[in-house]
Amino acid sequence: MVVPTLLLVGATVFVLMRLVPGDPVLVMLGDTAGEAEIADLRAALGLDRPLPVQFALWLARVARGDLGASITNGQSVLGLILERFQVSTAIVLVAVAAAALIAVPLGLLAAWRQGSAADLAIVAGATVLVSVPSFWLGLLLLLLFGLKLGWLPVVGFVPFSENFAAALSFLILPIVTLIMIEIGVLTRMSRAAAIEVLRLDYVTHARAKGLPESRVLLRHVLPNAFAPTWTLIGLTLGNLLGGIAVLETVFTLPGLGRLLVDGIFARDYPVVQGCLLFIALIYVVVNLIVDLMYPLFDPRVTAE
Amino acid sequence: MRAGRIICIALVAAAALGAAAPAEAQGLRVRLNADIRSTDPGVNRDANTDAVVLHMVEGLVAFREDASVGPLLAESMVVSEDGRTYTFRLRENVRFHNGAPLTSEDVAWTWRRYMTPETRWRCLTEFDGRGAAKLIGIETPDARTVVFRFESPSALIPATMARPDCGGSAILHRDSVGPDGAWLAPIGTGPFRMGEWRRGQSIELIRFDSSAARSEPRDGFTGGKRAEVERVRFLVIPDQAAGKAALLSGAIDVLTDIASSDLAELKARPEIRLDVAATMGLNTLLIQTKDPLLADVRIRRALALALDLPALVQAVSEGTARYNASAIPVSSAFHTAPHAQGYTRDLAAARRLLAEAGYRGQTIRMLANRRYASMFDAAVLAQAMAQEAGLRIELEVLDWATQLDRYTRGDYQLMSFSYSARLDPSLSYEMFSGPKATQPRKVWDNAEALALLRESMVTTDTARRRAIFEALHRKMLDEVPLINLYNGAEIAAMRANVSGYQGWPAGHPRLWGVRVD
Amino acid sequence: MRRPIPLNALIGGLLITALVLTAAVALVWTPHDPLAVNLRARLAPPGGAYPLGTDEFGRDVLSRLMAGAATSAIVALATVAFAVIAGGTLGLVAGFLRGWTDRVLMAVNDALLAFPGILLALGFLVVFGANQWGIVVALGLAYAPSVARVVRGTVLSIREREFVEASRVIGNPEHTTLWRHVAPNCIAPVAVLATGMFGWVLLSESALSFLGLGVPPPAPTWGNMLASSRPYMESAVWLGVAPGLCIALSLLGINLLGDWVRDRLDPRMAAHA
Repeated sequence: MVVPTLLLVGATVFVLMRLVPGDPVLVMLGDTAGEAEIADLRAALGLDRPLPVQFALWLARVARGDLGASITNGQSVLGLILERFQVSTAIVLVAVAAAALIAVPLGLLAAWRQGSAADLAIVAGATVLVSVPSFWLGLLLLLLFGLKLGWLPVVGFVPFSENFAAALSFLILPIVTLIMIEIGVLTRMSRAAAIEVLRLDYVTHARAKGLPESRVLLRHVLPNAFAPTWTLIGLTLGNLLGGIAVLETVFTLPGLGRLLVDGIFARDYPVVQGCLLFIALIYVVVNLIVDLMYPLFDPRVTAE
Repeated sequence: MRAGRIICIALVAAAALGAAAPAEAQGLRVRLNADIRSTDPGVNRDANTDAVVLHMVEGLVAFREDASVGPLLAESMVVSEDGRTYTFRLRENVRFHNGAPLTSEDVAWTWRRYMTPETRWRCLTEFDGRGAAKLIGIETPDARTVVFRFESPSALIPATMARPDCGGSAILHRDSVGPDGAWLAPIGTGPFRMGEWRRGQSIELIRFDSSAARSEPRDGFTGGKRAEVERVRFLVIPDQAAGKAALLSGAIDVLTDIASSDLAELKARPEIRLDVAATMGLNTLLIQTKDPLLADVRIRRALALALDLPALVQAVSEGTARYNASAIPVSSAFHTAPHAQGYTRDLAAARRLLAEAGYRGQTIRMLANRRYASMFDAAVLAQAMAQEAGLRIELEVLDWATQLDRYTRGDYQLMSFSYSARLDPSLSYEMFSGPKATQPRKVWDNAEALALLRESMVTTDTARRRAIFEALHRKMLDEVPLINLYNGAEIAAMRANVSGYQGWPAGHPRLWGVRVD
Repeated sequence: MRRPIPLNALIGGLLITALVLTAAVALVWTPHDPLAVNLRARLAPPGGAYPLGTDEFGRDVLSRLMAGAATSAIVALATVAFAVIAGGTLGLVAGFLRGWTDRVLMAVNDALLAFPGILLALGFLVVFGANQWGIVVALGLAYAPSVARVVRGTVLSIREREFVEASRVIGNPEHTTLWRHVAPNCIAPVAVLATGMFGWVLLSESALSFLGLGVPPPAPTWGNMLASSRPYMESAVWLGVAPGLCIALSLLGINLLGDWVRDRLDPRMAAHA
C-alpha cells in the first residue's frame, strides 16, 4: 500500500507544480535576462523537454534514491531535506513528548474527578490553549522573551554541529509554543478517552474487588485510555512535520516546512516534489509504527 | 513537570550563553541572502555571485560612481575615428594572484574563452553580433597593448564590457581553468583572492598582498581598490530578519539590503551605523497600453495626475528616496535638468480627462506581490490615491513567481514593478521599450521612440545622446506607458567599529577600502 | 448530559453570536473605510478617532477587524459547505457502490489524507490563485477527504440495515434509496465534523494569510493583518495583539460550541476529541 500511495503522491505533486503559473528560470534570472539566456538555462535544467519525459526521468532517479538537485542553488535535494528535517524533528519530537508527559496525567485527573472544579479548570485551560493560533502565541512569546526581556535570541539559527548551546537557545521558544498548543489538544483527547474507560465494566469490577484507587487508575485506566491518545500523537507527529511551516516562519528556522514553502515560491520543482514525497513517506511510516505499537497499549486489540 | 524543569534549565543556560558570543577576530563578516552560484565571472551567476566574484577579478574597464565607464586594468582606452577600433594600453606592474604579470596575451586568451560558445558566457550574445556589437578581431601588437576590432560602431561597447552581470569581462589567468577547459577557481588581479568556499554556508576571501591598486580614490568598481582587512567572510543567511538579528548580536559586521521598515529601529541603536545610497534600480507602475480601457491615453494620464507621487514615494521609502519621473536614475550623469520634469497631482484635471474618455467606473486590476514590500506598499497607496479621482483600482496580490510570469507575458492592466539597475541610459529605456509583438514584456511600443532609442545606442557623441534622452523623457511623460516612482535606496547597516563602507548606485557591496577597528 | 447548565456552551454561543453580529454590522457599516489610507496618521496608537489605532498605511484597525470578521466568517462558511458537499458526495458514492469504484476513490482519498491539511491547501492555492474563492476551494478540497471517510464509514455500516434492505425490496431505484434512506443518517456525524472544521478553516485561513497566500490584501482578514504587523511587533504592539485576540476568541467560541454540539448529536463520539 505504501508504494502506490507514494507513486500517486509523486504524480499528483508533479502535475500540480507544473499547473502553477510561473517559471523557476524567470525567478532565478530576474528582469535583466534576455530570451537567449532564459532558453539556455531552461535547456541546461532539462525544463524544455516534454512533461512525460521529465516525469519519467524524475521517477527513474527517485527509484534509485536520488531526489535530484535544487534548481535555485544546485544543492542535492535529499541533502537539503535531511538537513532541514533535523531541525523540524528536534522541535516536534521534544514538544510532543513534553506535551504528552504533562497532558496525559492532566486528562486522567480531569476524567477521574469529572465535573469537579479541577476538571472544569483543566477543560477550560485546554480549550483556551487549543483556540490560540500557534503563530500568534509564537509572536507573543517572541515579543515578551525576545524583545521586551531580551532573554532569548529573536530570530535565526545555528546548526547543532556548530554550537549546540546556541542552537538550543534558538529552539526554546518554538518548542515552548508548540508544547502549549499540543497540551491543549492532548489533554482534551486523553480526558475523553479516560472517561470512556472509567465507565467500562472491568473498572467497576476492579473497584469492587477492593483494589486501591491509585492502582485502578494506573493499572487499568491509564493503559487503556492512552491507546487512542497514542494514535493521536502519531497523527500529530506526521502533521506537524509538514505543517510546522508557519511556526518556522515566525521564528525564521530553517526547517522542512520552510524549505517546502520557499521551494513553492521559487517554483523549485525538485525541492517541492522531494519534500512532499518525503513528508508523505514519513507520515505513512509514523502511522505504521503507531499501529504496530498499538497492542502494547491496548490489551483489547491483542485479544481480537 | 519534569519537562518543565528541563525547559527552565535550558532557558537559564541559553541566557548565559547568548551573552558570550564568539568574538575572535574573523576579519569582516558580511551577510549574503543566498549562496553564490559559481566563481566563474559572468558565466554561472546571479547578483550575489557578481558581488563576490568582482572582489577577486577585474576587467579592462569598469563603472564609476556616476555610471560612466572608466579604465580599470587599462591605463587608457582610445576609440578610433570611425568608432570601430578600441585600443587599450594596459597598466604596468599588475600581477595575477599567482604572481604572473598581466600581459596583452592574457587579455586575448580571456576574450577568446569568453567568445567560445561552450564557455556559456552570459554576454556572448552582446559581442557576437546579436546584441550590442560584433567583435571581429583582437590583436596584441605588444605586451601592453590590446586592440579590439568591431564590425560597426556602438555606444554600448564600453558599458557592456563593464557590466557586473557580464562579470565585468574580467581578465583571468589561464590557470583559472584546467587543461580540459573546465573552470577551477578565479586567478584574477583584484584586491582579494579566493579562500575557502563552504557551500551553502560561507565564502572566504583573503587579501591579495601584491595587488597593484590605482592611485585615484575609490570610484564605483574602479579607482583605488585597496583591501584593508586581512580577510572577508560572506555568510549565507537566507532570512532577512535573521540577518538583522545576526548584526545586532555582532555575528556579522555588515548587513546590506535593509528594508526601509527596519530603518527607524536600527537608527535608534548606538552600536549600529547606517549607510544610505541611491541605487539605479527603478520602482515603477507599469501600464498595459494594449488593454482596451488603458489604450486610451487620457485614462493613463488621469491615473498619473491622480497620484500624489512625492508623498507616495516619501511614505513607501520611509524618506530614503525622492520622486524621480525619469527612467534615468537620479545619480546618472545623464539625468539632466529636463528629467526633473514629472507629474503634479491635479484631481480636477484627472476627473476631467476621465469624463472625456467616457470612463464609467470600470474596475482596473493592479498586480502586486508581498515578497517586495516596496512594490506592495506603492500599489496600496496608488490604489487609495486613484480612488480620490474616481478611478476604481482593485489590487490583485500574487506570489512573485506568478507576477513575473504575467510580466513576461504582458498579461496585466496595471502592475507595481521594480527594475534592477541598468547602468547605461540607453538600457534604462530599452528595459521597457520595444515591440510588444515579439517581446510582450515591453510596455512602450512606439515607433518614433524606438527609432530614437536605436540612435542612442550607436551614437558615441555624448551631447547628442543627452538630447535624445531628453526627447525620450518628454515623449514618455506624454504617452504614460508607465509611471516612474523612484530609484530605490540601498541601505546598509554595520557595526559601529566598521569604517569606510559606502553603498553606490550599482548596488553591489564593495569591501575594499573598508576597515574594522 | 453531564452538566445541568452547559456554561461552556453558553460562553461559546455568546462568542459566536458576537462574531456573526460583528460580521453582519461590518457588511453595512464600519467606523472608517477599512481601506482608506491616511498617510498623516500612520501607526497611530489606540485612542481618539481610532479606538484601536492605525496600521502602517494609517488605516483604522477597528474597522479592519470588523471587515475582517465578515471576510473570515464568509470564507469559513463557504469552505465548510464546499468540503461537506464534495466530501459527502464522494463518501456516499464510494460507500454505496463499493467494489472497484470504492477502492479507487478511497485510494485517492487516502493519498490526499497522507498530507497535512494546510500543506495540501497550500498546493491547491498556488494552482487556483490566492484569492477569496481560491481559498474556499483549496481548503475545501483539503478537508473534503476527512468528510468522505466519515460518510463512507457511516454508509457502509447502515447500508445493510433493515430499512435500507426494505427500501430495495419495495423496488425503489438505487438513487432513491441512497438519498432518502442512507444520506439522512450521515447528517449527525457530518454536523459534528463540520463544527470542528469551521474552527480549523478559520485557523488555516489566518495561517495561509500569514504565509502570504491568504485572502489578498488590501482587503483585511485577521490573518493578513497579523502577518503585516510583524515588522512593527515592537513599535506598534496593538497591530498584532488585536487580530490575534479576535482569532483566538472566535476559535474558543467554536470549540466550546462544538463540544456541546458533539455531546448533543453524537454521544458515542463524545469520547473522541
